[in-house]
Amino acid sequence: MHTARKLAASSVEERLYREFGDTLFVSQSCADQIPTLWVDRENILAVLTFLKPHFCMLYDLFGIDERTRSCRDNQPTADYTVVYQLLSMRRNEDLRIKVGLSESDLNLPTCVAIWPNANWYEREAWDMFGVTFCGHPNLFRILLPPTWEGHALRKDHPARATEMGPFEMGPERVAREQEALRFKPEDWGMQPKEDDHEYMFLNLGPNHPSVHGVFRIALQLDGEVIIDSVPDIGYHHRGAEKMGERQTWHTYIPYTDRIDYLGGVMNNLAYIQSVELLAGVKVPDRAKVIRIMLAELFRVASHLVFYGTFVQDIGQMSPVFYMFADRERLFGIIEAITGGRMHPAWFRIGGVAQDLPNGWDKMIRVFIDSMPARLDHYDKMAMQNKILKERTVGIGIYTEQEALEWGITGPGLRATGNDWDVRKKRPYGGYDQFEFEVPTSNNGDCYDRAELRIEEIRQSLKIIRQCVDNMPAGAYKSDHSATTPPPKERTMQDIETLIHHFLNVSWGPVIPAGEASVMIEATKGINSYHLISDGSTSAYRTRIRTPSFPHLQQIPLISRGLLIPDLIAIIASIDFVMADVDR
Amino acid sequence: MSSPDAEIWPLAVFTLMVLVLVITMLLMSWLLGQRRREDATNEPFESGIVSVGNSQIRISVEFYLVAIFFVIFDLETVFIFAWAVAFFELGWHGYIAMLIFIGVLTVALVYEWRNGALDWGSKVRVGLKEAQTLEAQQATHL
Amino acid sequence: MVEWTPVLLALGILLGGVAGAAILTWWERRLLGFWQDRHGPNRIGPWGIGLVVADMIKLLLKDDWVPPFADRAVFIFAPTAIVVSMMMGFAVVPFAPDMQIVDLNIGLLFFLGMTSLAVYSVLLGGLASNNKYALLGGLRSASQMVSYEVFMGLSLMGVVMMSGSFSLVDIVAAQSDVWFCFSQVLGLLVFVVAGIAESHRLPFDLPEAEHELTAGFHTEYGGMKFAMFMLGEYLGLMLISCMIVTLFFGGWMGPDLLNEWLPPIIWFAIKIFFVINFFILLRAAIPRPRYDQLMSLGWKIMLPITLFNLVVTGGVLLWIEETV
Repeated sequence: MHTARKLAASSVEERLYREFGDTLFVSQSCADQIPTLWVDRENILAVLTFLKPHFCMLYDLFGIDERTRSCRDNQPTADYTVVYQLLSMRRNEDLRIKVGLSESDLNLPTCVAIWPNANWYEREAWDMFGVTFCGHPNLFRILLPPTWEGHALRKDHPARATEMGPFEMGPERVAREQEALRFKPEDWGMQPKEDDHEYMFLNLGPNHPSVHGVFRIALQLDGEVIIDSVPDIGYHHRGAEKMGERQTWHTYIPYTDRIDYLGGVMNNLAYIQSVELLAGVKVPDRAKVIRIMLAELFRVASHLVFYGTFVQDIGQMSPVFYMFADRERLFGIIEAITGGRMHPAWFRIGGVAQDLPNGWDKMIRVFIDSMPARLDHYDKMAMQNKILKERTVGIGIYTEQEALEWGITGPGLRATGNDWDVRKKRPYGGYDQFEFEVPTSNNGDCYDRAELRIEEIRQSLKIIRQCVDNMPAGAYKSDHSATTPPPKERTMQDIETLIHHFLNVSWGPVIPAGEASVMIEATKGINSYHLISDGSTSAYRTRIRTPSFPHLQQIPLISRGLLIPDLIAIIASIDFVMADVDR
Repeated sequence: MSSPDAEIWPLAVFTLMVLVLVITMLLMSWLLGQRRREDATNEPFESGIVSVGNSQIRISVEFYLVAIFFVIFDLETVFIFAWAVAFFELGWHGYIAMLIFIGVLTVALVYEWRNGALDWGSKVRVGLKEAQTLEAQQATHL
Repeated sequence: MVEWTPVLLALGILLGGVAGAAILTWWERRLLGFWQDRHGPNRIGPWGIGLVVADMIKLLLKDDWVPPFADRAVFIFAPTAIVVSMMMGFAVVPFAPDMQIVDLNIGLLFFLGMTSLAVYSVLLGGLASNNKYALLGGLRSASQMVSYEVFMGLSLMGVVMMSGSFSLVDIVAAQSDVWFCFSQVLGLLVFVVAGIAESHRLPFDLPEAEHELTAGFHTEYGGMKFAMFMLGEYLGLMLISCMIVTLFFGGWMGPDLLNEWLPPIIWFAIKIFFVINFFILLRAAIPRPRYDQLMSLGWKIMLPITLFNLVVTGGVLLWIEETV
């Protein structure tokens, strides 16, 4: 198997072998065909440094607790694994590097110096698994409260409240938690005063109107000038990855809706594609087009919220109401089709939950016919406004290089001139059948990020129109055995299908052992679910790579030296939801 | 109509009424208001986090600059007030005198402007130039 | 002999001011709702007008809390200062012929003085709170209001030159031929902008700037003391509107041909109504500039415009007088 893979391996892999010798690496095959190489801890820094020029982005970094995993094929022994997933946009290639660690010696060197966005990912791996990254500048907890005991994603950590003692939030506990949240400038290398300047440390958030949820930035201020800042996340953490380990494959779908809660079924798509890849399910055309249509409707909904709140954060009061009214109309369509509004959880393994209702296309047509004129109107009202331009043009700039180094994807990346859109570069779920453009712009500032998303709304409307005009006939669900819920037509006629149906509904399908992750272009950037199946009815590990997480990490970079109102504009232009960051 | 001997006592009555109104408002709410004290009631609001340091710090110098400008310009406007009300009596003489005065004022304004005293905060983030030149260099390398 | 009319008038203005401010909060929300494609308050009483009463009762019953970390005396003084100074400003407004508390020969200066005092309210409120957001809000308000103070006064000097008096009654009388809004376009423009900045309403609500400083200078205020800041703000809005009408739109005079149709006080009310609605429309339509942009606008654009206006007005007036 090894030789076969090596022959098919890409040039970077060959060069790796040439550079380090092929005895160093153990190759693992994954369902998603992404080359996966195991490296030992001693060489990991050298290998990553070697790979840096070839892979512009550290796409993801996460841990796996391997201790109770049974189907490991011939992977090297490890109690814990740290996974680096790298992405090359130029060659449109991925590479996964894995490092196995033993429980007694749970540490490895940090790669913050190679990819700056590793900082938060490593903190997360420390928080969740207790993996120490030697040399990390501030290896604190990131998602869990600083007072938390244990590492939550370890298999021996309780998964539900009933496995733990009763939760009490008495006055002493409140005081202790509050004290733990107090910002300590020394921890971040900040001085309270320098030369003649005395600095003020201000907590912006978690309870603040403009941080879009519970997000906190500790600011070091000189007057209103931001000297430095420390974003702090985790206030919205709900343990979505942990829940993935006890929910069945099917019943996890509604949880995904709530990751990027503005993206609705878009999240289902990212999850379900990985499951389908693992199970080898082929989705019928009609289901594909229905999925794309709904996903794009949700992209429009999400971008409308962005548009409204962006303009509102700049201080213009009215537009947000128009955009929310449009979004309500859109939710009317979603409701007519799925029965749900914000979180329909409507996609299923192998298809969608139901066929489209009669007359579904009329509502959509009315909507997509009216939207372009409305967008023009909003453009005049908001985006052409001179004050808004003054506030956002030239503010919050990052270069393409910086964007890649910090793991920025989606519209935030395309605003720097890079046209990487997963829908074009790796058409998934049938996107290759659609005509649309990927808007880009060059300045990489707040204004461009906003303008680009508005253009994306127009492009999404174009895709939706194509869906409506060319909706294929046929099944809305695959007849694969892993499809949920399974077909019910013959359950009352023979015992075999009845048993199959019963098991598949109560336990859900068994997904073959393996690993897979499929990127999708979600509303805010690239989203993927790295799923590890151990050949059972629920995932062994669910890793959710969300776009908002790295987007928040680079806020200090682009806000130093600017004023508080600029920071608000920057936050508004990033378009994040905290649920998507904290999971 | 307006004369120096315009009756001024209504103003005093009005002032008294306004003061009574304000005091009544404060008293009423003091009497009627609820009294609630919880653990965090007596902490300053800082987005729900206990604060580090307080607000009694030395303030950046830009704010003082504004105060100084105000003193300069607002004092000078007083002269313009006096001129404006006696405008026709002073005629062209006064006008030319005032032209010179406004000219001096404008020179002062231009001086401040050119000195950058009227620009607050930087409009470019720290490190942007370096990042952009770096990117430009790499683009030429490729 | 004591005349009772001015006393009744004073009482009327006092209660009218408070009631007007209260109703204005409701009217503004209704109007914003109308423009923003939503209902606005519509539950209590006809068209939701009962909300005004409900709000008052609620604010009265709220905790009268003074933060232990604040400077107690100043903290309580700050909101009263804005109500008092704004209220006092109404003393010189001629609502109709002979309907004025006092016709000071320095009426205009009295008005300018009173609005300047409002700076103290916001600044002291921000500083006394001993809260970081409030401090930033207070600093912003001080620099913003102080800057706009300079040419708020200057922008009116064109009007003073044309009427030759600081008395508001004389200024209204001087507009019997042509309203000053036609001859003092630049003055009007600057005064309106400065007026919004002085009453710190959106788009120039930087001291408050909900999206940036949570509640800015009044972050620590609640209950009646918060309500007094709001009262002060709405009184300020009404006062500025009264001044705009008095100084630039002929005060209580109706348009020439229609003057006899309605009593002067009604004309005055109609004009005020339009100006206030204009301010509310501005609030609905315009985003908030950044602190430094607001200051640049003031010093680099508004101040030169005002000086230019003075020079031109003076020249033209003298030239007209010579030729006529």
